[in-house]
This record gives sequence, structure tokens and C-alpha cells, in this order.
Amino acid sequence: MVTTTAPPSQPAAVTRPRRAKAPASKKRREALAAYAFLAPDVIGLIVFVALPMVLAFGVAFFKVDGFGNYKYVGLANYQLMGSDDQLWAALKVTGTYVITFVPIAFVVSFALAMLVRNHFKGIGWVRSAFFLPNVVSLVVVGLIWQFLLVDKRGAISNLLAPLGLGDVSFLGTPSLALGTYVLISVWFLMGYQMLVFLAGLKDVPKELEDAAEIDGANAWQRFRFVIWPLLRPTSFFVVVNSTIGAVTGLQAFDLVYVLTKGGPARATSTVVLYIYEQAFTFNNMGYAAALTTVVVAMLVLCTGLMFAFTRGGRFDED
Amino acid sequence: MSATPLSARPHSPARPLSRRSVLRGGLGALAASAVGGPLLTACGGDDSGGGSGKELSFWNFYGPADDANPQSKWFVDVAEKWNANNDVKVKLRYIPSKDYLNGSTLQTAFQSGKGPDIFLISPGDFLRYYNGGVLQDLSSALPAESKSDYLPGLLEARSVEGKVYGLPMEIEPLAMYYSESAFEKAGLSEADLPKTWDQTLAVAQKLTGDKRNGVMFETLPGYYQNFTWYPFLWQGGGTPIKDGKVAFDSPAAVQALKFWQDTIKNKVAPRKALGDGGGDVLSNLGSGAVAMQQSGIWAVSDMRTKAKNFKYGIIPLPTPDGGKAATDLGGWAFVANAKGANPEAAAKFITWALGSTDAEGVERQRQWNTVVKTNVPPRKSVQTAADAKGAFGEGVLKKFVSEIAPSGQPEPRFPPEVYQPIADAIQACQLNGTDPGKAAADAAARIDTFLKTYQGAPIS
Repeated sequence: MVTTTAPPSQPAAVTRPRRAKAPASKKRREALAAYAFLAPDVIGLIVFVALPMVLAFGVAFFKVDGFGNYKYVGLANYQLMGSDDQLWAALKVTGTYVITFVPIAFVVSFALAMLVRNHFKGIGWVRSAFFLPNVVSLVVVGLIWQFLLVDKRGAISNLLAPLGLGDVSFLGTPSLALGTYVLISVWFLMGYQMLVFLAGLKDVPKELEDAAEIDGANAWQRFRFVIWPLLRPTSFFVVVNSTIGAVTGLQAFDLVYVLTKGGPARATSTVVLYIYEQAFTFNNMGYAAALTTVVVAMLVLCTGLMFAFTRGGRFDED
Repeated sequence: MSATPLSARPHSPARPLSRRSVLRGGLGALAASAVGGPLLTACGGDDSGGGSGKELSFWNFYGPADDANPQSKWFVDVAEKWNANNDVKVKLRYIPSKDYLNGSTLQTAFQSGKGPDIFLISPGDFLRYYNGGVLQDLSSALPAESKSDYLPGLLEARSVEGKVYGLPMEIEPLAMYYSESAFEKAGLSEADLPKTWDQTLAVAQKLTGDKRNGVMFETLPGYYQNFTWYPFLWQGGGTPIKDGKVAFDSPAAVQALKFWQDTIKNKVAPRKALGDGGGDVLSNLGSGAVAMQQSGIWAVSDMRTKAKNFKYGIIPLPTPDGGKAATDLGGWAFVANAKGANPEAAAKFITWALGSTDAEGVERQRQWNTVVKTNVPPRKSVQTAADAKGAFGEGVLKKFVSEIAPSGQPEPRFPPEVYQPIADAIQACQLNGTDPGKAAADAAARIDTFLKTYQGAPIS
């Protein structure tokens, strides 16, 4: 139709209709390309995250024996939690881990970011050194630390021996094991969080800092009234990110599995390890699913509270 | 998970959680690790489980391994030999031991109905799989002469109501290993080798220094730790369950818990072992980190291949005053999946591979038990053949067979609900200073609660 009614003044459209749509088509091509690049992740999210979460919610109403048999039990899996002492112990371990790990990781990685923010000789090397732990598999991290922390003979025991602490067993003493995990996790994650902070710091306009300086603000004041407020979205992301990471055991799970398997005396038995045990050691997959939904609900609640509390880290007047 | 060979100690979960894509990876991995995994395996398309009626999948943690080590080669040879003479072929699938022992590979496969046709099982897992209805009765495929060739007790531990559900491939007793050089350096001789718990603590004291602990027991929680602790319970006449009722709250349990606690309290034993822990003699005794270490017969072949010049000896596990000698006999078994593609053929393969009483079958067993690995052979004919070759003629292996194994009991087949309270009691006393009497009572109460509603096969 277009070709027959097209006025002579638009011959290009007649003979080369594709070309005429070129601007829109380019946009569309770009959009298509974007979708194509996103597709693997989106499909992955749906298949490996969204779907399992929905299924987990359903499975939580069944007794699942691990051999393909399902029996509907209603809310029994949820009711079981009330009297499950070990669950509460595991939640306590997880809670302790989160409230120590998140602030320490935050402060350490922020301090690192401030430290390596300005260019100096060897900056690349320093940044890489801090980031390096993050690219190593956690299993390898575990093996390295096991070697460093081993009773009596580890490098760290040797370092501490002059202080009379050569006999301390960091991973074999219940009161120390979790703290040791916190420190190893901080060491592991600090490079990644440092990068996030660095990215945030890049977004702080230099002119604002300069202007403050001209107005007579000292270094602390520049930090307190210019940099810090502008970093709120970054800080919010880091806190939520590391809280979720800590609860779901992203840092701790592999380490715990490699190093102490939840011991000594369940001192490092986190809630995710407990869920894993319920599912794969005890074959209580329905109960594990119910526990999972509770943990996810807690995380959503936690994140929601943080969001409400900080308005998502947005700036005050937005 | 008992009697784990060195090469088969667990390291980590099968499903390493994503590290950096925290927001999505976190929740997803969590959901997936709990239930998503099993349900999704159907979409995953791993068809090596189940298999067709013409091909049987055999999941194991030995072979075919990349380095084609002798133990791997033994598995490959067995499968090849079978395949050469049978229409239904056996296909090996190697699963790294850390995934096999502590991972979710098998669990997710069974949950999605795609479990292997043939697999390896430890006593601690027997009831879980039996009660799940996936163990195939091997009795009809097992000839009478083969059945009577097994040492007493071994098949019973893998049977329910007289039907055999697993054939053991080995017997792995536990002993106390000691380092000759550590004893020499401490000015001690063979006469000082401990026979009682009190002597053990006293000798360990003398052997303990700045860089060395006198004695070592497993400290990592798990089936393996329980397995290594039971002998000390049995020595005092204790048992966790008797006639279907809990019997854990006993003086024998309390004193056994206290003995392990004392080794830590007196600072003569490490709170955390090196390498892969209690079963890893190379990393602990071999490195000089400990002077005495409780471990199993598998360590003999480990030391043979990797620490030829290290001088060590073994003694039976020390007993309490007035106690009787005891050791735990571990060992893995072949089992068939009753819900597999061709359970009858799988049963035939297993009984052929491990139970054949002809010359070739005996030789195959002799190879596994005394050449590629060190075990006590589970069958009389194989023991005779091994003796003829002088396998147990001298040294530590002779001691294992003549002095230690006779005091052994097969590893108990406790379901997770029984194993866990006992594990918690051991851990709490050993590493957290809990009162042994209280720990035993707590564990007994938990086991009692479980037994009141338990409906599966007899626990022993």
C-alpha cells in the first residue's frame, strides 16, 4: 500500500522502504541485541532462581523422602520448626555471623577504597592484591587457611607463639571458630566491596570536593558533608549485598564445609548448612524447603526494613 | 561414610555456591540447594543415571580417574571384563569422593528418579536407602557357596529379614598408628606403647611438644568421627541401641566420651587435624604433627605409596581398665538400585564382581584387598589366597589380621536421626567441655524420641 500511494516526493521510501525506517530499525536492532545479551541471564534467573523458589514453596507442604515420594503434610514442616532446637542454634550462629561480618566488612572495604582511591605508584598492584582473594575458589581459600591456622604448626600459630598464643586452635575452639570465619570472609570479600566503593567514589564530582575545599572545609568535613552523603546508594547496596551474602552463607558455606563441617560442637553450623544437612544428609527435603522459604522471607523482610530505613539509599531530596 | 580411604575423604559440597552475583545467586542457590536441584534435574538432561535396560550405570568414587591409579584401574578392569561377556553392559561413572560422600549428587539423582543402577554405599547410609525402597535384593543372584564364603556378620549387617541388599568389597578395621621416631626422640620404647586409656594419656603427655601432639582422634563431625568413636563405647560394654530401645545413657558411653574429652583437656591431642583429618595418616602422623593416630587399615597402602621410608607401627586401640578389646570394621559395599532400569542384571553384576568363588573371582578380590588397596578380605577363600601370597605374613598387616580384626564388630547402620545425637554428644564433650553424663543423657533422649515413631528396618 505504501508503495502505490507514496507521493513522488518520497521516492526513497518507495524504492528502499527499509532504508527509510533506518533510525527506528537501528534502535530496534540495539534493543534486540540487548535482549540477546540479557537472555541467558534472564532465562537462567527464571529456570534456576524463580522457578525453584516457587517450587520450594510448594514442596514445603510435603514430606519428601529423597527417593521421589511425596506425601502432603500441610503445615507440619512449619510447625516442626518451633521445637527444633538445632534450627534455633543455627539461626543464632547465622545472626552472630551477620551482625559481626557486615559492619566489619563495610568498614574495612570502605577504608581500603579510600586508601587506594587516589593514584599513586603501584596503585594497580595494590588494588589487585586486595581483590585477589575474591577470584580464588572458596574451597581453595579454605585449604589455604586450614594450612595457615593448623594447630601448633600453622604459620599464624607460629606468629602468635611469642605472645604465648602458639597453642590456640582457631578452628578447633567453639568460641573462636565463628570469629575466624568472619575474618576470613572479610578478607575474601573486601576486594569486591572495595571495587564497589571505588565505583561509588568515582561518581562523587570532583568539583564539589574542590568547592568545599575552597570554602574552607577540612579533609574530615569534605568527607563527612560531601563524599559520605553522595555514597549513600553505594553504601546501601554494600550493606544489603553483604547481609544477603552472609545469611545465605555465600562466604561461609563453602568455608565451613571445607574447614569444620559445622563444628567444633556445631559452633559454625549456619542456617544454610543446616538446610543443606536436612536436605542431603537427612533426606528431609520438604522440611529443608520450608526452612528455605522462611529464610527467604526473613531476607525479604530484612532488606525491606533496610530499604524503608534508608529510603533505598536515595538522596534526601529525590 | 565410614572407613573412608584417604583418597576418598570429603572436602566440600557438590554445589559450590556462586560468590559474586550475590543477589540472584544467593536466593537462587539457596532455593536450589534445598529442593530446586532435585526437581530441576529432570530438565538438566543428565542421562547417565537410570540408563536403559541394556546399559547399567555404576557410580563410584574410584574410576575411571584421570590419573588411572591402580584402584581406578581395578574398577575399569572389572567393568571391561563383565562387558566382554555380557549383553547388558556396565558403564562406570566417576564421581569425585567429596561429591560422593558429602555432596548432593546421589541424593538429587534419586530424588528425580534418575539414580544409578549400581553404586557404593557405606553402613551409615544403608538404612536411609533401604527405607527409601531403592535397594535391590541380591539374594536370588547370590550362590549359596558364595554366601557362606563371607565372614560371619558381614552380610547380616547388609541384610533385612534374611535378604542380602549389599555385598561388602572390603573390611577396614581401625588401629592406633604410632611413629617410631617420635617415640625414640621422647626416649620411649616399645614397652611404653599404651594398652589402656590412662597409659595413652600418660604416654601422649611425654610425646607432646611445641610442634607435636602425643595422640590424635578425629575432630571433624560426621559419620567418620562416629565410626571411629564406637570402639571406645564398645570396650566398656556400651551400645547406642539395644533390642530396638535406646541404651546410650550408660556408664560406658560416659567414660568413652570422657576419654576423648581428656585428650583435648590435657592438651595432648589437636583440636583440628591436618589434611583430610582422622583418616589421613600421611598428613598427620607422617608429617610429624602427631605421634600416635587412630586410623584404619587403608592407611597402610597410603604409606606404602607415598611415605615408603617413614617408620611406624600399629597397636590395638587402647582399652579402659577392665575393658575388652574392640574395633570397628568399616567398608563399602556394592548395591543395586531396585528402581533402576534392570535391577536383576545389576544384582548379577554385583554378585559376579564381588561374590564369584571361581579362581578368577577370588583373584579379583585378592587384588582389591591386598594389592591395589589394603583391607582385610571379607571372604574366607580370598583370605586364604592372600595368605598364600604372604600378604599378611608380617608387619602391620599381619597384626591387623591376627590381633585387631578378630575384636571387631561391623560398623553400625544407624540412620541420620541416631547418628546426629551421638555426633553432637561426641563433639560437645571433645571440643566444648560439656559434661559427658549430661551429653549422653541428652543424646539418649533425642534417640528415644526418634525410635518411638521409627517404622523402618531394624537398626543395628
